[in-house]
Amino acid sequence: MASPPPAVDEDEILAEIRERIRRKRETGVYGPEVDAALRLPLPGGRPLFSEELGDALPALREAIDEPFEYDPRSRKPVVGLFVTAARRLVMGLLRWWLAAASERQDRIDRLTFRALLDLRERPSPGFDERLRHLEEGWARFRRDLVAADLHSVYFQARFGGDEPVIRRQSERFLELFRGRSRVLDLGSGRGTFLELMRDSGIGAYGVDLDARMIETARSRGLDVREADALEHLRALEPASIDGLYARHLAEHVLPGELVAMLRECRRVLAPGSPVVFVTPDPRTLSVGAHTFWLDPGHVRPIPPDLFRFYLEVEGFEDVDLVTFEPSEGERLREEGDDAARHNARLLNEVLFGDRDYAVIGRTPYQRAP
Amino acid sequence: MTVPKAWRFAGPPRAVHQFHPVLAPGDAMSDHVFALRRHLREWGYESHAYAVEAKEGVADVLSYRRLFRVVRPEDMLLLHFSIGHEVFDQLARLRARKVLVYHNVTPPEFFSGVNDHAAVHARLGLRQLAGLASQVDMGVGVSGFDTHDLAEIGFPNTRTVPILIDWSRYDVAPDQSVLAALSSRRTRILFVGRISPNKRQDDLIRMLAYYRACIDPEAQLYLVGSYRDQPQYHARCAALRDALDLSQAVVFTGRVSPAALAAYYRRATVFCSLSEHEGFGVPLLEAMHYGLPVVAHDAGAVGETVGGAGILLARKDLAEAAEACALVAESAELRERLLAAGRRRVADFATEAVAVRTRKALGL
Repeated sequence: MASPPPAVDEDEILAEIRERIRRKRETGVYGPEVDAALRLPLPGGRPLFSEELGDALPALREAIDEPFEYDPRSRKPVVGLFVTAARRLVMGLLRWWLAAASERQDRIDRLTFRALLDLRERPSPGFDERLRHLEEGWARFRRDLVAADLHSVYFQARFGGDEPVIRRQSERFLELFRGRSRVLDLGSGRGTFLELMRDSGIGAYGVDLDARMIETARSRGLDVREADALEHLRALEPASIDGLYARHLAEHVLPGELVAMLRECRRVLAPGSPVVFVTPDPRTLSVGAHTFWLDPGHVRPIPPDLFRFYLEVEGFEDVDLVTFEPSEGERLREEGDDAARHNARLLNEVLFGDRDYAVIGRTPYQRAP
Repeated sequence: MTVPKAWRFAGPPRAVHQFHPVLAPGDAMSDHVFALRRHLREWGYESHAYAVEAKEGVADVLSYRRLFRVVRPEDMLLLHFSIGHEVFDQLARLRARKVLVYHNVTPPEFFSGVNDHAAVHARLGLRQLAGLASQVDMGVGVSGFDTHDLAEIGFPNTRTVPILIDWSRYDVAPDQSVLAALSSRRTRILFVGRISPNKRQDDLIRMLAYYRACIDPEAQLYLVGSYRDQPQYHARCAALRDALDLSQAVVFTGRVSPAALAAYYRRATVFCSLSEHEGFGVPLLEAMHYGLPVVAHDAGAVGETVGGAGILLARKDLAEAAEACALVAESAELRERLLAAGRRRVADFATEAVAVRTRKALGL
């Protein structure tokens, strides 16, 4: 019989039901005592077999030792006496035959049970080998993706920025962090920013993955820990730091990791704390098409509008963008008539504009309810 | 799906007989047999109900032994199957147009460990059913769920025709003493059906514990249905009720008269089924007939019988089931919509309409 369309919107009703249950959970009306009542086993014997089939192994463990009983008494009036006597007689006569059969069955049951347990402990042959192979392959892929084997010290020596330049760049954010006591520099590198903080009397520490970088930073007397940025954030207590700076880190992680990082930042930063992420600006074509890719560790460039969006979506406020570090070298000459000068200026901006940008935000002053 | 060729050549049958091992009053299966017999006779066929055992209170039932004498090859024999019985094998050897009407067999997993006797019977029944597949001309399931089972077992020629419910039987005045006893205003959750492990009355009792703790401390649960066949399960449900301190809140009525049944339906707030196996589920429709909203766990044929005219819960979660009952009890608007849908749903199973479908399916 064809069913007519449902009289009620079941999804809507289910949503209402689950909301009611959630509220009762929260207010404690639906507490552990009710939970216990809902799970109370049926008294007087084993749980229903149909239920035990849902979780068979523990049930089997108990069922295998369960005694077997048979009551030969008949409840029929008068005739019952004879029936009972006859049953007892037959049971007595067949006792040893049945005992032998049940002994054999018991042996098979126990063997089966043992075999099942063994099988569970020991997965299919070669499983571990295949799993190890996959894990190694995956780890290799992640390493190869960013050429992780390149020595970053050599790399820094060839392509890394000039320390005084980096320090000058960092100084523009100094005012944001003034008066803070526990600023975290994610991907602290040689420690340029941390040194600036120390010189300005701001409490700060760094986290980096590269042991050589950490060594360099520590030799300058800076507080740097060796850890993965995201894992470090996850390990922090809520509202345990009051500022975050990350220069040239975001372009080294996958987009999902970056979002997860921002979410963790929001959690571990105290209300009203500043965050600053500095990354290459792909709007400048010579960066987006060329210099960005000089570092094989760069995963993907992040357009400023996207980065701003990430911060806003994750609940940061007063999000702002600043660009800096103009490209060096020759530019198009801005001469000729007005139109030609205008065009040349536009082209200069697109081709040789600022190389980096910073996205700046702040956690809300009030904790979200 | 057409009527077997051999039937068409031999012309219409003169008699259409029905068999079920046990015929008892107030049992959905037996009511179906009697309602169909009335219609078969109206259509001009000689028709009798045969059984191995006719319980007290049913009249005009003949012994199955007569079938071996009276049935001719062109006659039709409807074998109603809900439990196994050795007589089915004997009847399957008769030369006649044999149709197996399947009301489903409760899987033995529900009885094993609680009532091993019933489990053995159920298993034998399923085994016997498989053997009958090649010996009957047609298999009729009373729900799509049952027909699907028949096809799985290997019945070659299957179709679905719902149970024939004689709605005029429900036109009885509700029992006054029950009405009076239930006159106070409180939430009453009702379930009608034999007390049996597959119907999971134990879950209803646990659900009531939630209902009283989290929704309405005065709510009551009425479990209407015979517990004679499952004394062990009934005793354990009663023990569960006592362990949850619900002795005053859960009522096992045992088997009741049609008048008392009407009174329970009239006085209840909501009909709730947490059954895990139903071949059709007549009480779901009875509830709708009596103007009671239905909340049901979707298992077996429950979903297709409710047919959108109740709140169906796909997942078995007792807290959710209780809140669904509460929602129905509280919202007059939701209640009204469910009742209107229920009335439409019952009309789908109008006696005459189903009788016509049955006649067509059997090629009569």
